[in-house]
Amino acid sequence: MLIRGTLIEDTFAEAFTMRVARLIVTGASPRWVNAAALKLTGFATSVIGCKCEAGIEHILEPGETPDGRPGVSVLFMTMGKDDLPKRLIERVGQTVLTCPTTACFDGLPDAPDRVGVGSSLRYFGDGFQASKVLGGERFWRIPVMEGEFLVQEKFGMLKAVGGGNFLILARSAGAALAASEAAVDVMDPLPGIIMPFPGGVVRSGSKVGSRRSKTMIASTNDAFCPTLRAVTATALPEGVNSVLEIVINGLDAPAISRAMRAGIDAACGPDIVAISAGNYGGKLGPHHFHLRKIMSEPPA
Amino acid sequence: MSGAVVLTARGAQDTTVDAGELRFDRFAELGAAEIERQTIWAGAGPVPLAELFTVRGQRSAQVRVVGDLRRVERLGAGHQSGELTIEGPAGREVGLRMRGGRITVLGNAGWGAGLEMAGGVLDVAGDTGPRAGAAGPGAKRGMTGGEMIVRGSAGPEAGASMRRGLLAVAGDAGPGAGRATIAGTVVVFGATGGDAGQWSKRGSLMALGSVSIPATYRYACTYRPQYANLLLRYLEERHRLPAGRARHTGLFRRYSGDLAELGAGEILAWTAE
Repeated sequence: MLIRGTLIEDTFAEAFTMRVARLIVTGASPRWVNAAALKLTGFATSVIGCKCEAGIEHILEPGETPDGRPGVSVLFMTMGKDDLPKRLIERVGQTVLTCPTTACFDGLPDAPDRVGVGSSLRYFGDGFQASKVLGGERFWRIPVMEGEFLVQEKFGMLKAVGGGNFLILARSAGAALAASEAAVDVMDPLPGIIMPFPGGVVRSGSKVGSRRSKTMIASTNDAFCPTLRAVTATALPEGVNSVLEIVINGLDAPAISRAMRAGIDAACGPDIVAISAGNYGGKLGPHHFHLRKIMSEPPA
Repeated sequence: MSGAVVLTARGAQDTTVDAGELRFDRFAELGAAEIERQTIWAGAGPVPLAELFTVRGQRSAQVRVVGDLRRVERLGAGHQSGELTIEGPAGREVGLRMRGGRITVLGNAGWGAGLEMAGGVLDVAGDTGPRAGAAGPGAKRGMTGGEMIVRGSAGPEAGASMRRGLLAVAGDAGPGAGRATIAGTVVVFGATGGDAGQWSKRGSLMALGSVSIPATYRYACTYRPQYANLLLRYLEERHRLPAGRARHTGLFRRYSGDLAELGAGEILAWTAE
């Protein structure tokens, strides 16, 4: 399959089941919403080293938030369901509670599984906190030096999909970067997904384990490193001098498929030799996104 | 299930009627004849419902009661589910100890509306008498949950001894609003009468109009509680109760109290400044 001269390789992206919460962070102005959201989702690129993966899903207008102020929705994911509340308590406690003017609400009210967040953070109030119930949901008012921090007691938790991906195999580093930016730009507004790496793009795709160390769980994906073409079992076609990867996490597999469809289409062009994907032979992750199948579907 | 069950009063009652044993939420399972046979206390003893009301419809979770019901007490007592609409003024203790569902009164409600309610929504289009959402005589706790909306004004001691829940009054509230609350929230859009929040332990009284602060409350600060943003938006969107300018602007003077009690309660007095 060729799209505008770019080969779509006959392969698939292999993704995993994760647990997700959606946080609605609001504040007095977009400045402080962004400040909290950037810290909340910072250092949350991969569970390999960060214990969680997170990203901003959408910017929300005041009319879309529970308290009528500017906000963002953040998708926050972990591998295990026990990890999610731990990471949320750490992150919300250190990055949203601390940020001037912000409040934090659940963005998955219909999710049957609920994890406690405000129910733990309330103890920061040292007995001066107060709870309020509205519409059957409990909120905690935690007194802080600025005034008060409002946080919902419980957040919905759903199964989600993490690790959807595609690789952009380019003739040059500049072409890889331009194609990545084009892909991220069209994927970013799509609902139900995040791209947790910096700017949505990864330059250091990894393989499972290491040739040299038994303790490392991941190391450089040498088969896709152009500089190692001569010394390793390369997976790179002729003419490829740079590879970038886009990783997509989503609320469900269709959301990831839609995003991959849009992103791959935007990335293709004469300076992109091929689009590939990362997988582990289909043995590790239950979700397989076949590139040619996705690209043969009509755009959303 | 069919359309709404409609009970129409056969004229104004000339004696006090106690509807406390009438479970409107069970009408969803009853045929018209069974509904007509339900008993209701009128004067000294029980009478079939059909003696006082005409019954139309059957097997519906939506029930309408139509007529001048000022002498009908305890309508919707213990209501758990479904929608009960009272098209006329209601007597004492409408929605007594209700636990769920929705009761709408399209008129005024008498003494003790929503007395000790534990869940659901009680929406009164008119005024309420004394002790709306409060504790009954000798009882320790008023509302323990649910939401009560008074679109007119509330009589004295609205929300007295509340334990949980939300009581919102679109008009004025009489003296003693939120008196001796254990917790919960009372919001008054109009003027709040004297002795508001007296002997409160943890309750919140949000006054968007004039309010006189009891001597046993102490001023803390002037700020915009995040909870106010959430609460006022919720009341506007869920209950169509617009808070006007307070919804978006202004600050609240926070008074802590009652310091003669636990002192963990508050009066939040809105100020446009």
